[in-house]
Amino acid sequence: MNRKPDIKTTVLRGVYEDNAGIPRSCHGRRRSKFPSGPSSSGRLGKLTLLALLGLVAIIGINFRFVTVSVTGPAAMQVMPVQSQPLLAETMPALSVSAADLVYDRYRPTEVLGSTTGDNRDGTVLSHVGMPLAELFSLKVKTIVIDPGHGGIDPGAKGHRGLMEKDVTLDIAKRLRDKLVKLGKYRVLLTRDDDRKVYLKERVAFAKAKRADLFISIHINSVPAEAGSVNYVETYYFGARADQQSLDMAEKENRDSDYTIGDFREVVARIGDTLKREESRELAWSIHKHLYTSLKRQNPGIVDAGFKAGPFMVLLGVQVPSVLVEVSCISNEAEEARLGTRAYRDSVADLLKDGIVEYLDHPAYLKTIDRGETQYVASQER
Amino acid sequence: MSPAKKDNMLYIGIDLGTSRSVVSCSNGSRKWVESYVGWPKDFVAKKMLGKRVLFGSDAVEHRLALNLSRPLKNGVLKEGTEQDEAAVQELIGHLIELADVGQDNDICVAVGVPAEALKINKTAIKNAISQHAKKLMVVSEPFSVAYGLGALDNTMIIDIGAGTVDFCIMHGTVPLEEDQRSILMAGDYVDEQLFKLLTEKHPEADFTLTMVRKFKEKHGFVGEPKRRVKIEAPVDGKFTEFDITEEMRKACESPMPAIIETAIDLIANFDPEFQQAVRKNIIVAGGGSQLAGLNTFLSEATKQFEPCTFTCITDPLYAGADGALQLADDMPEEFLEKL
Repeated sequence: MNRKPDIKTTVLRGVYEDNAGIPRSCHGRRRSKFPSGPSSSGRLGKLTLLALLGLVAIIGINFRFVTVSVTGPAAMQVMPVQSQPLLAETMPALSVSAADLVYDRYRPTEVLGSTTGDNRDGTVLSHVGMPLAELFSLKVKTIVIDPGHGGIDPGAKGHRGLMEKDVTLDIAKRLRDKLVKLGKYRVLLTRDDDRKVYLKERVAFAKAKRADLFISIHINSVPAEAGSVNYVETYYFGARADQQSLDMAEKENRDSDYTIGDFREVVARIGDTLKREESRELAWSIHKHLYTSLKRQNPGIVDAGFKAGPFMVLLGVQVPSVLVEVSCISNEAEEARLGTRAYRDSVADLLKDGIVEYLDHPAYLKTIDRGETQYVASQER
Repeated sequence: MSPAKKDNMLYIGIDLGTSRSVVSCSNGSRKWVESYVGWPKDFVAKKMLGKRVLFGSDAVEHRLALNLSRPLKNGVLKEGTEQDEAAVQELIGHLIELADVGQDNDICVAVGVPAEALKINKTAIKNAISQHAKKLMVVSEPFSVAYGLGALDNTMIIDIGAGTVDFCIMHGTVPLEEDQRSILMAGDYVDEQLFKLLTEKHPEADFTLTMVRKFKEKHGFVGEPKRRVKIEAPVDGKFTEFDITEEMRKACESPMPAIIETAIDLIANFDPEFQQAVRKNIIVAGGGSQLAGLNTFLSEATKQFEPCTFTCITDPLYAGADGALQLADDMPEEFLEKL
């Protein structure tokens, strides 16, 4: 039997439907093994997650999980609970507590995007109320700091000519020196001079140096018509984002040298619970220090929040990673401040404080004040 | 009964490539141009050149007086780059002009573009073509090659272009997104590698990327060389002979691991019952398919997985445009009317 004419008709119809914007009526023969087409790395991810789940179950025998109980929106107590023989048996008991609703950062839907299907295992992992890195005693040894832009790419420019690339480099160097002084970490910069480094190269650098933490430093800018607004915001990687975050991501991703193929490959790793959860913790810690302290120095500064955004530089890095937009260079007063060593040094100090707090003290154990609680809740909804 | 095709309809197939753009028309015309578009920088340049816009080698030759665009560099139109979108529009217009379609004919255009551009810039490209043709289709380059070769079932096309290497598995229908992959380690990447290797080894010689690209196109090979590769390059203004066999081999083989890995991975994700058939039917197209020894090299390299059979096409320059032309020609009128 000659199948060729049938195939040709199917193909022609397919081309027509594709070009006419009609949902395809016939898909011909589809692969049967993996109908949704996950990559091998995706399958590996699921296996890894299952293995992790098994590990948690084993650890669960002797590990005293902590959970959070809240009597009021501003109060939080840490209470030990009895360990359970198998994590699976604990699942029904892990209901969403008041702390989850108030603090919101552990909201499973936010962490994993969905509580159903493939993500269910990850939800359980995230829901024990403890960062996974802590759970598995993963230590941070190498911190990579990424000063945004450089070389022919100046980034944002202030009215007086101050350039983002110079400010980010200076802050990054200061931050490196401060972290090195602590004597606990190897701290590396993706660039330590004024040169263009593509996003892909920054990511490759972090991977090659086996970074455990990745901090990308940027300075914001707003168009003249937006006025003299000055704000601070911190991003961690996440596919879900508001329009402003998407716009910002588009701006910072420009010239990324990534292909859609690369993007799809790395998007397949979004289910990396550990990275997302930890990145979120890190972003929160840095943002809290940066905003609250800058606010004291400059009451006019606006809190644009810590939030998810699809930044290529964060997506490509496999470890907890955040992108900090320190403040707005388009604000003339802020530009003047950023032009002083003392101010840049204080910004570096705040970034260091945020990183150190994240590394030394899991944020979930901290008492949170009402303002931050409300802020977090409002930001994420 | 489907409507009959119109007598005054001309069908045009265009391969809009990163490096070269090719047109093939149902009137028998076949032309190609390097994918460069340049506009005079100012009125002096415009007066000197006497043209509103220049294309191909003409544009490259006068590049100092032009705002030059290679619109599909890296296989994709950069988002929001108006100049590149305008360049695509000009290039399509120029190719249609080259095809000598005449004033009275209706035209139907099918355009093959790099797979990445199809995913990202389909609307922009369609808008650019719509300035010149009312009936138009945009498909991926590897698909148009496959269509032209009649390789519609259980076949993998590897299109080694300048900006990207596009992979596409044909299984009796228009390939879905998961049937296609693209990598950036393509012809331009090889040129850069060769340029780097040559300037490192012979710092005294003056090489340019254009020279290096010509060396590659003339002498490129993978595997064992059939003869030594000797070229001439200026040293202090005097042409001197260099043996660049090893550098040429290293540069040309540099994207091979990525190509093999991607091909194997794509096959591994295909329906297991048909994987064997695909392995035996891998067609290599694009300018990169002309590297000497390529099919043997790839067949040898894939032995460690499962033996694969690679066939390099004989007319890579026109394969995409011819396939697109055949697609336009085969498209039933009932579909064309609605496009």
